[in-house]
Amino acid sequence: MKRTRTRSIMVVLLTLAYFAGLIYHIVNLSLHSSEWVSMPQNAHIADSEGLADAGMIYDRNGIVLAQSLNGTRIYNASEAVRRACLHVVGDDSTNISTAVQTIYRSELSGYNFIFGLGQPDFIRTSNNITLTIDAGLQTTALSALGDRKGAVIVYNYKTGEILCMTSTPTYDPQNVPEDIETNDDYEGAYLNRVLSGVYPPGSTFKLVTSAAALEYIPDAENIEYNCTGSDEIGTKEFNCFSVSGLVTMREALAQSCNCYFGFLALRLGGEQMTAQAQKMGFNNCYTIDGAQTAKSIYNVSEANDNELAWSGVGQYTVLSTPINMAIISAAVANGGIPVMPYFIKEIKGATGTLKSGSTSLGSIMMPPDIAQKLYDYMDYTVETNYGKNYFCSSLDICAKTGTAEIDEGIAHAWVTGFSKDEDCPLAFAVVVEHGNSGYGVAIPVATAVLDAAAAASTLHPYSRFRSAP
Amino acid sequence: MTAFISLRYGRREKHALVTLEDTDREILYPVLFWENSIGRSRTSDIRIKDPTVSREHAVLLRRSNGWFIADTGSKAGVYVNGQQAQGRTPVYIGDQIRLGLSVLTLRRADDTTAYSEREYLRYKEAKRESRTVTGSVLLMLITVYILFLTAEAVLNMNSFAPVIAPLGFVTVMWIFYAVSRRFFKRRCFELEALAFLLSGTGIILNTVHDQRQSFVQLAALVLGIIIYCFMLWFIEVPDRVMKWRWLIAVGALGMLGLTIAIGTNLNGAKNWIVLGPVSIQPAEFVKIAYIFIGASTLDYLQTRKNLFGFILVSGMYVGVLVLMSDFGTAVIFFATFLVIAFMRSGDFKTIILAVTAAALAIIVVLSVKPYIAARFQAWGHVWEYATEEGYQQINTLIYSSSGGLFGVGLSKGCLQYVFASESDLVFGLATEELGLIIAVLCGVVIGGLMLYARAVITRSRSTFYSIAACSAAGLLVFQAALNIFGVVDLLPLTGVTLPFVSYGGSSMAACWGLLAFIKSADERTYSHRHAKTVPADDDDDGYERSDDPDYTDYTEQAYTRI
Repeated sequence: MKRTRTRSIMVVLLTLAYFAGLIYHIVNLSLHSSEWVSMPQNAHIADSEGLADAGMIYDRNGIVLAQSLNGTRIYNASEAVRRACLHVVGDDSTNISTAVQTIYRSELSGYNFIFGLGQPDFIRTSNNITLTIDAGLQTTALSALGDRKGAVIVYNYKTGEILCMTSTPTYDPQNVPEDIETNDDYEGAYLNRVLSGVYPPGSTFKLVTSAAALEYIPDAENIEYNCTGSDEIGTKEFNCFSVSGLVTMREALAQSCNCYFGFLALRLGGEQMTAQAQKMGFNNCYTIDGAQTAKSIYNVSEANDNELAWSGVGQYTVLSTPINMAIISAAVANGGIPVMPYFIKEIKGATGTLKSGSTSLGSIMMPPDIAQKLYDYMDYTVETNYGKNYFCSSLDICAKTGTAEIDEGIAHAWVTGFSKDEDCPLAFAVVVEHGNSGYGVAIPVATAVLDAAAAASTLHPYSRFRSAP
Repeated sequence: MTAFISLRYGRREKHALVTLEDTDREILYPVLFWENSIGRSRTSDIRIKDPTVSREHAVLLRRSNGWFIADTGSKAGVYVNGQQAQGRTPVYIGDQIRLGLSVLTLRRADDTTAYSEREYLRYKEAKRESRTVTGSVLLMLITVYILFLTAEAVLNMNSFAPVIAPLGFVTVMWIFYAVSRRFFKRRCFELEALAFLLSGTGIILNTVHDQRQSFVQLAALVLGIIIYCFMLWFIEVPDRVMKWRWLIAVGALGMLGLTIAIGTNLNGAKNWIVLGPVSIQPAEFVKIAYIFIGASTLDYLQTRKNLFGFILVSGMYVGVLVLMSDFGTAVIFFATFLVIAFMRSGDFKTIILAVTAAALAIIVVLSVKPYIAARFQAWGHVWEYATEEGYQQINTLIYSSSGGLFGVGLSKGCLQYVFASESDLVFGLATEELGLIIAVLCGVVIGGLMLYARAVITRSRSTFYSIAACSAAGLLVFQAALNIFGVVDLLPLTGVTLPFVSYGGSSMAACWGLLAFIKSADERTYSHRHAKTVPADDDDDGYERSDDPDYTDYTEQAYTRI
């Protein structure tokens, strides 16, 4: 019997492991419950009922973007604001997976682990959310994009606050169109293209190729190449938009010479190109205030020489999200280390502040000396190629455009860059789908938003909102 | 809850039943258990430090008709009053037992010195401290709990339909109580109370979602209770179990074979037999048979390590279950096999060998049929398979989060619309609608069955009961772990039921059958009848003679503790 008792310890251990598992489950559930309860699959909150008692959503200047009155969700009075802020704020459904009303639905409605969703009304404490976006800039960006599909992201590269994050096509969350699922005009309307759209980056990717060359090849900036407009790499042709002649890196970037960067990519090889691209956010997702971005992709493991060269100019299978490009520009402006963007300034309720946005640094993308060189090159590019005045009259902008060829249809237009101004330190990226020209289409959109931002900053200097790290 | 309070009674082995006195060396050995191993080995219950005594020399057993001694392959043999003991030999008070050169005399516990006096005082002290809850109070608490939930269901659904099954349940529970007290003279209901708590929760969850299911569940509960009572009668006499065990083994295997032959494939596993309107899962009932076979062994006190026959039977069962693609049940059988094998042999080598063999078998099966692995690919990253293999798990997690500690209310949940919510996902359903507290309580109660089994095993009348109780409880706990941790993605989802709670008639009935093993290990189960049938002057122990009335009461208590 003594023996039986001793041996029964085995089953007692089994039971203890079982109890430990139960405890683990409870802890795990308490840690993740607010994330899980906000999942779009949750039928309890997927419809407007989930927002019946939800808190307010404000923009950075205190403009009410959404509120609940008598059990209904009311959005801003202006249709333009509603449409412009849709992808950040969200709608009654949880279709826009990166929107605040999807990710923070449980916080908005005062969900907590203790009471779950069965919380009685008299103890309900909903929370209000203040965003960093500016409703004015949002509408400016929306009207600048017009009927075209695209994305605009502008953020303060010193503090990380996202001032403008606009995506088209959009719709009015107060009157969701009935044909949204069937009408081609609304194709991808549930996507916030800034975070979830991936496009071939085209010539904007030359920033990555330059950084790789400066990192891995000694004295890379003085490498010379005589561009004749086209060349043969591998067995296929490789061509430029223009004949650049004998160029060094600075001139090649300013004139956006494909051949130069194609050869740089070839010389670096797939391994070093991939290493640098990964340092600069490719093959990786960012999580921004709980919203997971799509993955920007650089994969040349199966590329031949010609394809490797094309990858060096952001073609082949290279893909980037707009926000990834904005973060790269921010890194260049910030000495190689980007400040990470965020859009939630504060979540606050009766029980206190649940979350408040703060400045955080990303991982190092390049050493400070390389960042300085790219800074100068982008400055030089605007000065010699686009013209400082064409770009933006109120801010001193450094930038790089891209015109990304796609398999079918007209090329996508890109521009990414940053302002040099201390009081208005903005990094940005703009994509206009099928815009055909970064210079002709993307820059005017960027200009409109940056001018509006500069004007707004004279009222509320952005540098004052949060001190630099 | 309160049921556990009453589990905290003093351990039986604290006072001796009888004693063995070595008059030559003036050593007194207290005999603490119903089955005691005697030998030189350190793990013997009665250890005799005499080189002429074998390591495992003999076993001293108490049966309803007295004390017996049996030789367990000693070198020097066992002699009772000078006669060599062959097989099981009766021993009476005053008899001399010779083991090697040691001579022991069987004495009553109160015959000898102050030992029992001291124990008696200690007992009185323990009695003052102990608080026990009577069965009627426990069942009353469960009745209140069920009626409370029923009222909630009526309010939430605006209909009186959901009162039928819960009221039926409460009626069944009290009929069981009355019959048990009157006809079976049972006094303790802790174990049954735990099972009723779980069964009642399951019936409530079913009645608000599908009334037909709750009636099935109620019928299964009645069937389960009948099986439970039958089992308690059947295993009362260990010799009867020994006689029947091979028949049971073959019968159970035949049942599994029949399932393969004429079984129906429902939801991915061919483990159903459909007979007109009734469909049953024979594998559930085979669990009961398996514990019969595993625990009933003629090896006294696990002194031998021969597990060959048992391993063979186990291998066949698990093999057949794998053929049926019922992997969850196969794993449960394997875990139960490990428990029984270890309890019987105490041999780590056997366990390691079995686990290695199983691991190899899994590798072979997976390399031959790789699609089986695909069924479990979502494990650990269910969110990536949100619409496919991870669908049930992510819904469980989402709706568990929605429930909070107190739940969103009966019938107000959304998990009910997910497939198998009342069976496989019942833990999530309970969390969503009744709250995490009640759901976890159900989980804890199942774990509590194991603690109960562990608390009673050393007081059981035979190692058969101890092993059966531990393995039955181990089986239930392991199954609960597979179910709960399967749906919350800590383990792969195998689709086994949560004992007593999940919808499933076969499962419910079989769980009550398994409960009988745990109950039988508690000596109080059979004690009242023994106190009546065993004459007071019987020489099987030394309790009945004492001038102190309080003391007599105390010894009576040892049998019929209330």
